[in-house]
Amino acid sequence: MARAPIGLRVRERRKALGWTQVGLAERLSVSPSYLNLIENGKRPIGGRILMRLAEVLEVDLETLDAAADRRLIDELSELAGDPVLRELTLDTRETAILVGRHGAWARALSMLHRAYRERDRAARLLADRLSQDPLLSDAVHRMLSNAAAIRSTAEILDGVDDLSPVELSKFHSILGQESGRLAEACEAIVRFFDHASASASASSPAEEVDFFLLERDNYFPRLESAAEELLFAANVEEDRWKSRLIDYLQARFGVTVERAGLEKAGMPGVRNHTRFDHDTRRFYIFDSAPEATRRFEIAKLVAKLGLAPQIEAEISMARTPLSDEAARYVRRALASYCAGAMAMPYEAFFEQARGCRFDIDVLAQRFQASYEQAAHRLVTLRAPNAAAPPFAFMRSDASGFVTKRYPLPNLPLPRQSGACPLWAVYQAFQTPETVQRQLVEFPGGERFLFVARAVTKECAAFERPRRLMSVMIACEAVYADQLVYGDGLDFSPRAAPTNVGPSCQLCMRETCASRQEGRLDLGGSDADGIFG
Amino acid sequence: MPTRILIAEDEPNIVEALRFLLRRAGYEVEHADDGERALARLLASPPDLLILDVMLPSRNGFEILKMVRAEPAIAALPVVMLTAKGQSHDRRVAAEIGANVFLTKPFSNAQVVDEVRRLAAP
Repeated sequence: MARAPIGLRVRERRKALGWTQVGLAERLSVSPSYLNLIENGKRPIGGRILMRLAEVLEVDLETLDAAADRRLIDELSELAGDPVLRELTLDTRETAILVGRHGAWARALSMLHRAYRERDRAARLLADRLSQDPLLSDAVHRMLSNAAAIRSTAEILDGVDDLSPVELSKFHSILGQESGRLAEACEAIVRFFDHASASASASSPAEEVDFFLLERDNYFPRLESAAEELLFAANVEEDRWKSRLIDYLQARFGVTVERAGLEKAGMPGVRNHTRFDHDTRRFYIFDSAPEATRRFEIAKLVAKLGLAPQIEAEISMARTPLSDEAARYVRRALASYCAGAMAMPYEAFFEQARGCRFDIDVLAQRFQASYEQAAHRLVTLRAPNAAAPPFAFMRSDASGFVTKRYPLPNLPLPRQSGACPLWAVYQAFQTPETVQRQLVEFPGGERFLFVARAVTKECAAFERPRRLMSVMIACEAVYADQLVYGDGLDFSPRAAPTNVGPSCQLCMRETCASRQEGRLDLGGSDADGIFG
Repeated sequence: MPTRILIAEDEPNIVEALRFLLRRAGYEVEHADDGERALARLLASPPDLLILDVMLPSRNGFEILKMVRAEPAIAALPVVMLTAKGQSHDRRVAAEIGANVFLTKPFSNAQVVDEVRRLAAP
């Protein structure tokens, strides 16, 4: 094991204090040559001398002799031996120096290595699960047996001319039985994959949030009615929506809503152009906030303060208990959900949405909401008796970073970045504030209607760069006739939709002009070229 | 004396088709639907060729093949193994313990008959 770099620390600290080796040796009452050995890591130190060093150098013992550092050195030595890094022939003796001089970088390396190994393990588990799952292997086994019987029998029926009537009827009956069983086996396989995707466990808080929302179909009837009751309690009327909610905040929670100038917009704790000061019970809304944002943020605060029990009840109903961090995200997401429900009450919104055939701009205008808020509300219209088509939602910044997403079961959306560059969500940045619609086809033949628009996130000011976010909703092409955005598009099989993929790494379109990187090799050989 | 073939397979419809085919090709066909019965037959009255499914109840095909190869009286018996798992792993195991031929389901009739002919030829 490499020795903890106490000597290095002693030297750095001594230099920081501007002392010579001789000067420090005197203060410690040891010989300069002994101190020299200590500083060069050639003498182990501990006990009394270590305490004395800490005292003289005015640092705590922990700083000088950190057990954490020794662990870090061990971890880095282990990292150096990782097969991935073998070619670099790292000198493990240098790990102590790295830890001593650049502790934060050393920790970063070790954390990355740990995360990498964790992912590696997860990937292996996933691969193993597919190859070893007893349900799947049993279903495949049954399917192949049925296929064998069918093939043999069919070949006999096809190739043997002199079958007796008894034989003929026997083989026909076998065909019937076996094809029925084959169908059952196929269904079992489909069920397996359905189940596999539904029960896949989340590995990050963001995924936990995804699973939570998907599990509930992103529709929360109890929150819908709680939001409506709250509107009623606050005596909200349509043309006094905002002022009544502001009054309600004051009367019920003692919170004052105030405008705040832009000079304070950069201070800590500002989120979505607002800041809540718990001590003074003041809710500041900055001048950079567009009107729709003001309305929404006020409703969100009302929800956070007034609907907390209902929100917590939803969280406690999660099928898989949420981690603390995920619960925090969900709490925020559900507060936004309630704000959406207050700003765009379900029944009225659904009615209007159907009336204008889901024209997001019309809805935004009608409900004084932003384009994004209206688009997001569409995704929640999943009440069993009054449901819109299932929509996916995605919001990306100009760098392609996905800042909000709600996938559909058959439309995987990227978790953070890197979907297909051909998607409308990215194309929309070329023509801000203009709706881009796109009929797309995935390599598997699935067709979707993409509707995207890059929106400005805050009020303009000469000194502030314009901040664009692209907002996209997507639905399966079969629903396109219900949407104003489907009008005039050619849905016939002959029409050429935009050929897209999930992302370059997962896409099979080898010759695509937009390809930026190769397909991910999942470790399985593709000798038969099944995957194109 | 006609060549006698034992089919150790638990899927009755596959047995039905194979029996029909092999009889037409001039062989005498017997059948066992689980591992224990197959083994008993092999020892009591050894056939000239064995068609052996990997996934058999009570004793799997690999176990039976191993016993066959270890039993001097029948060690040289030609064995065609059938499997519904075409994995290379199964194939390797079968080769290691001495299967003559390894066919994956769904096989074609011609494949089976050809292999049987080849192995049963004097």
